[in-house]
Amino acid sequence: MEDDDRCSSSNPGGIGQEEEDEDGKVLRFLDSLDSYLTLLDALSSTLRQGWFELASARHSMGSSRISSVLLDQKVQSAATTFQVRKSIDGSPSESHPSFAISKWASSRNGKCSFRELEVSRVQKTSKNSELRHRGSSNFYEEHDLTINASSTISDSDVQKERSKSLSVFGTLVSPKLRGAQVSFETALDAIVEIANIRSSMLSAFTQLQQEMKKDLG
Amino acid sequence: MAGRGQIRTNNSALIAMIADEDTVTGFLMAGVGNVDLRRKTNYLIVDSKTTVKAIEDAFKEFTSREDIAVVLISQYIANMIRFLVDSYNKPVPAILEIPSKDHPYDPAHDSVLSRVRYLFSAESVASGRR
Repeated sequence: MEDDDRCSSSNPGGIGQEEEDEDGKVLRFLDSLDSYLTLLDALSSTLRQGWFELASARHSMGSSRISSVLLDQKVQSAATTFQVRKSIDGSPSESHPSFAISKWASSRNGKCSFRELEVSRVQKTSKNSELRHRGSSNFYEEHDLTINASSTISDSDVQKERSKSLSVFGTLVSPKLRGAQVSFETALDAIVEIANIRSSMLSAFTQLQQEMKKDLG
Repeated sequence: MAGRGQIRTNNSALIAMIADEDTVTGFLMAGVGNVDLRRKTNYLIVDSKTTVKAIEDAFKEFTSREDIAVVLISQYIANMIRFLVDSYNKPVPAILEIPSKDHPYDPAHDSVLSRVRYLFSAESVASGRR
């Protein structure tokens, strides 16, 4: 008992602080794990909607008009690209990738213009105690996400890029096909979120593994 | 896994897809399709005639390319090359297993969740600490 008192007096907050740090890491891991599963659920809903709209478009336009055979094999650059950055949580040695999406990027007349939608990690911004609703297709919109949309191209340019993307299926396409396009665009936003949460989760997992090794060693 | 290997930053990376026709078609409509000068695409459409070898080769190619940030693979296709997917441990490109029309997402088969599952077994963080 006296030894315990001496120990606690010599290191009053040290052990408690360590446990708090460990608890923080565990919470961070569990939080990102929960977000990962919820986002995948939301992605499933969005994809289901996209497949349904694609099937409806195929029904109205005909199977031969919506087929992988029509996919353009000419040399082309992707209009929607990703950005990969290094994100550091805690110590500099624990860096992990962070992803952002650039939708409908185009370069015309030598001038590069793009619409960048950066969605920060759900875990970083959701510090409140709101309950998450599983199965919602709008999960990643319900959270307090930081969205920086610097659109340097107009909506009409985006519509032109969208129409260009659908042009392989003919000049006049079903509204359902346009709806499917929007659904899959929405799915891409979810995919960026999932990629970031996955990265964060694996980083937290690595830190926990290191803690466990320290405890056992 | 996070932090292992160098993280290549990239401002204009692609998303690769190994999935069924409808999934690939949908994402191509969203503008992610890329065909380079060698006529190499950033997607593989898997149907009943696609061999496991072709899927493996595509997975290996996409995960070794420096211009790809994310590889989307339908989970039922990932199950065909599960050993390869589970042994992949680089931070970039990120491998995401997605559902398909006929095969809903199953967390039990996800390679990322399999990796972290043992934390919830008897030798968890809490029991190891105490």
